[in-house]
Amino acid sequence: MSLLDVVDLDAGYGDLQVLSGVDLHVDDGEYVTIVGPNGAGKSTVMKTIVGIAACLGGSIEYQGTDISGLSPEEVVRERIGYVPQTDNVFPTLTVEENLRLGAYVLDEMPTDRKRDVYDRFPALAGRTDEDAGSLSGGQQQMLAMGCALMLDPDVLLLDEPSAGLAPDLVDDMFDRVDEINEAGTTILMVEQNAKEALRRCDRGYVLANGENRYEDDGDSLLNDENVRREFLGG
Amino acid sequence: MGLLQEIIFGLVTGSYIAIAAIGFTLIYGIVNMINFAYGEYISIGAFIGFLAANTLPGPLPVAVVVAMIGGGIVSIILARGFFTPINHTGPVPMLLTSIGLGIVLRNGLRLVGGRSARYFETETSTFQFDAIPDLPVGPVDLLGDFFVTSEQLVVVGSAVAVFASIHLLLTRTDVGIAMRAMGDDESLARVRGIDTQLIRDSVWVLAGVLAGLAGVLMAVQTNVSADTGFSHILQILSAAILGGAGSPYGAILGAYVIGLVLAVSTAFLPSSMTGLSSAVAFVILIAVLLVKPSGIAGTEVREA
Repeated sequence: MSLLDVVDLDAGYGDLQVLSGVDLHVDDGEYVTIVGPNGAGKSTVMKTIVGIAACLGGSIEYQGTDISGLSPEEVVRERIGYVPQTDNVFPTLTVEENLRLGAYVLDEMPTDRKRDVYDRFPALAGRTDEDAGSLSGGQQQMLAMGCALMLDPDVLLLDEPSAGLAPDLVDDMFDRVDEINEAGTTILMVEQNAKEALRRCDRGYVLANGENRYEDDGDSLLNDENVRREFLGG
Repeated sequence: MGLLQEIIFGLVTGSYIAIAAIGFTLIYGIVNMINFAYGEYISIGAFIGFLAANTLPGPLPVAVVVAMIGGGIVSIILARGFFTPINHTGPVPMLLTSIGLGIVLRNGLRLVGGRSARYFETETSTFQFDAIPDLPVGPVDLLGDFFVTSEQLVVVGSAVAVFASIHLLLTRTDVGIAMRAMGDDESLARVRGIDTQLIRDSVWVLAGVLAGLAGVLMAVQTNVSADTGFSHILQILSAAILGGAGSPYGAILGAYVIGLVLAVSTAFLPSSMTGLSSAVAFVILIAVLLVKPSGIAGTEVREA
């Protein structure tokens, strides 16, 4: 059984249907990416899993339980870690306060995990009392990941973590995702930077026009003629 | 009267305006609405405090506590009845609803309480400071004798206690941090698992408690009537906007600016023009907003 199982998913916002019949699954410990052109519905897949976009049909099972139709505040209680693409920290709250809210649904503040987050992202450790809005883009992205890691999630959903980062930070960010995955956390990542994402992941999905197009392990997709021609610019 | 005395009056006015402006600005920042009925919440607090002072045994602080609890209860009931059901419609319908609700409440109070103003009976001690030299500059005395009453000390002391409590709430408690988080980004707050309705309810109760306290303090300084709060709503609104709408710290600063400008302009303006002193506060407001549209402490005004 997969950790996360999305079957024949229709989803969208209000009257606008974005996804039709999307299937995907993520096994325990896997590193899976979703790539595809702009407007393919990549982010919508994630937003539907976490309850922001509306599930119009199909099912989303997490650890064998149907979570489709749950609200965001219910999904986070399943300890699914989610890092939105933009606006993923509270700018007027301090770094420390942001991490505290990362663990909002837990009964107790997991101080050891907070130490782990600061160990993993030392740039944050020196700025605990500064407003998150004063951090650089890269640091904000680290803080957003740190907030999601406060839940000690079994699966971490990353929505375009490299978006908006300076080019020299992108590799560093991908390295950190690798580390998190190697430490045992399952990763589902949506990425604009398709080549790098496919190189790093175990398995990938190519989405276009809200539908599945290709699914294979990352290297095979990278070397697939059709995928290269249609989606990776030759 | 010397300038020192006017500054004391200004600090007292600033103190009760600040308490109310914190409640007003929290509603603005977190529920995302301008609540024009907030003046009536204050008047209701003043009436509850007045009733409590005249029916319950015990000193004035008992009436203050009753007014604060009553204010919180009234606020959450009104919110549940009028604002929560239309929360999704956005700031403008909510603003209009609050204007209408304010008119109804104000006239309701007038109907029940009558037109005449009532006065708290408090025992006041006055501390006189007579040995201060005068320092006249033109028609204005920059020092001069002054007095402070025990009532005024209570008003300023209550305000300082409120500032400290609000600061601790907003920076040390989960509920308070969640309130600030919602002011920043409601959809991210939901992703973090924050029950946004619960937080909105908490803000309504808190704002009502502050209105109850501000109501009794205003009433002790002026009187109890259907207009006790309404006559201050523009000053409260100005303080909140001046400080940067949504920021409680800015609202405190804005309130003291308004209070001091009102008092000092009374001293500087010729006696035939004291009616203009309230206009001076708005001149300052407009001047500040022209230079810094987000207010003194504001970063940016939340988009509607």
